[in-house]
Amino acid sequence: MAAMLAERAPLPRFFSRGALALVLGLYTIYTLGPFLWLATMSVRTTAEISADHYAWPKVFHWEQFRIAWVDSDFATYFWNSTIVVVGAVAVVTLLGAAAAHALARYRFRGNRLVYGILFSSIIFPPQITLISLYQILVDYNLYNSLLGLTLVYVSLQLPLTIYLLEGFFARIPQDLFDAAKIDGYGDLEIFRRIVLPIGMPAIATTLILNFIQLWNEFLFAVVLITDPDKRTLPVGIRAFMGDHFQDIGMIATGVMISVIPVIIVYVFFSEKLIRGMTAGAIK
Amino acid sequence: MTSISIPSAAEEGAQHAAPSLADPRRASWWVLAVFLAPALAVYIGLTAYPAFRTFYDSFFTIEGLDATFVGLDNYRALMSDETFWVSVRNTFIWSFIAPVLDVVTGLLLALALYAGVPAARFLRVAWFTPVLLSYVVVAILWMWIFNYDWGILNAMLRAVGLGALASSWLGDPNLALGALIVTHAWKWAGFNMVVCLAAIHSLPREVLEASELDNCGWGAKLRYVIVPMLRPTLLNLYILAFIGKMKIFDLVWIMTQGGPLWATETVSTYVYKRAFNWNTFDLGYPSAIASVWFVVVCAAVIILNRLLATRERLEY
Repeated sequence: MAAMLAERAPLPRFFSRGALALVLGLYTIYTLGPFLWLATMSVRTTAEISADHYAWPKVFHWEQFRIAWVDSDFATYFWNSTIVVVGAVAVVTLLGAAAAHALARYRFRGNRLVYGILFSSIIFPPQITLISLYQILVDYNLYNSLLGLTLVYVSLQLPLTIYLLEGFFARIPQDLFDAAKIDGYGDLEIFRRIVLPIGMPAIATTLILNFIQLWNEFLFAVVLITDPDKRTLPVGIRAFMGDHFQDIGMIATGVMISVIPVIIVYVFFSEKLIRGMTAGAIK
Repeated sequence: MTSISIPSAAEEGAQHAAPSLADPRRASWWVLAVFLAPALAVYIGLTAYPAFRTFYDSFFTIEGLDATFVGLDNYRALMSDETFWVSVRNTFIWSFIAPVLDVVTGLLLALALYAGVPAARFLRVAWFTPVLLSYVVVAILWMWIFNYDWGILNAMLRAVGLGALASSWLGDPNLALGALIVTHAWKWAGFNMVVCLAAIHSLPREVLEASELDNCGWGAKLRYVIVPMLRPTLLNLYILAFIGKMKIFDLVWIMTQGGPLWATETVSTYVYKRAFNWNTFDLGYPSAIASVWFVVVCAAVIILNRLLATRERLEY
């Protein structure tokens, strides 16, 4: 395939193959290098790192991960993140899929208006809701609670979820629905037994995309959570760094703990993920 | 951006004449409510109501539970708040200039992959990786890269005898904003790359083949064929990057907290500082900043979208 493409599209004359390879190689080091550097530091102690920041680990100190997990509270942060993100992703996917189905399938007055309202909040700068959400959650005793943060996360990802799923659901052929109606399926059954199974590829994409975005979310978490026991990973790492600015090895280990789930997801679903992220941008 | 569909008179008539559910595209109101109500409830409770409340709060001074109506005082104070204007300037510099960097890098990388370099699949996945890292991770990594004593950037400068250029990248007011822009571009170039690549692959083959038959060189092909045909995608990417930068918070907050000397202060960090980080405890003033910024962002997106639409119309 690559060879065929190369023949089809000969490289620019002013660029020899070698120069191009060099530039691309350098760019690859530029993107992956920092990450690999982080990975090596996560298995070295701070003393070793201070001696030489760029040495390959002589001994792999895997116990760094145990120390971070147990003694530095990263286990707490990890499970908090997991609870909040899994909960929010599950709820937002269900709500979003139901709404997307109604908007994609049924004709009713104001359909596009409802869609426009739900979708337009995707451009809102977060501050417009941030301060009030803080006040509202305090009013309802949801401030400083994982449940409150989960609800806020649902609202943050709702527009993207509806946008991606509506686009996909609208392309499911109407014939399927007509046939289902004739077979006596009710509206809810159609949703459960036709839309959800057929829409699975798109649903999987939104699941992965929402997972990564919420796993990485920082602003709302730092405002709505103050209790150290309820910190999510990004807030926890930042707090740890504030307290132990010099402990580079342990910071690197904590960062790796937060990155590993994302990398696992990426290894298995890179194509889906890339497609999901590009879906909104191509017209 | 969105148009409200108004049913034609005939359709209306049909609706009244036959309210039955014979048309599978229609559903009773309670079915629609079951599907839409939960999402709308979340939207109203956690997006619309808070947004309105922020607007409303911007006319008050709010300290704890005491709210005092102050009319437009917050907005008046805002107009003469120098820090606010510095943060607006920084955000605008970032929002208008940096997306060009992102999109151009993305396009060049996509063209390299399209031209058929070996291991294109691996490179695409590798280049996309930074997009997935959280801002917290990216910020920590680049704080280390920019470290004065042992950061890789200064280490390399010293190694090649340019030690005089080694700087405190995040500590110098003249360099800090540039350093943050580079960091941000590092994270997002891969995203622009995959979008450009997908768009190039969806270009009609015939046109590209025709240009090859005409012995069109790469430079000419890029300039007269690929870029004009990709224009909608490129402008779209520009707008997306623009929106992202108008909201930028995490990276700045972790790397510089808006310093040194407000050199990297953005509107988002300033709102956060005034609401949650200063000892003023007044939520009314930051609400006013947030309201103003909300209007600015929405207006900017609408204007840019208009420009894009006109451009396209001129094209054909």
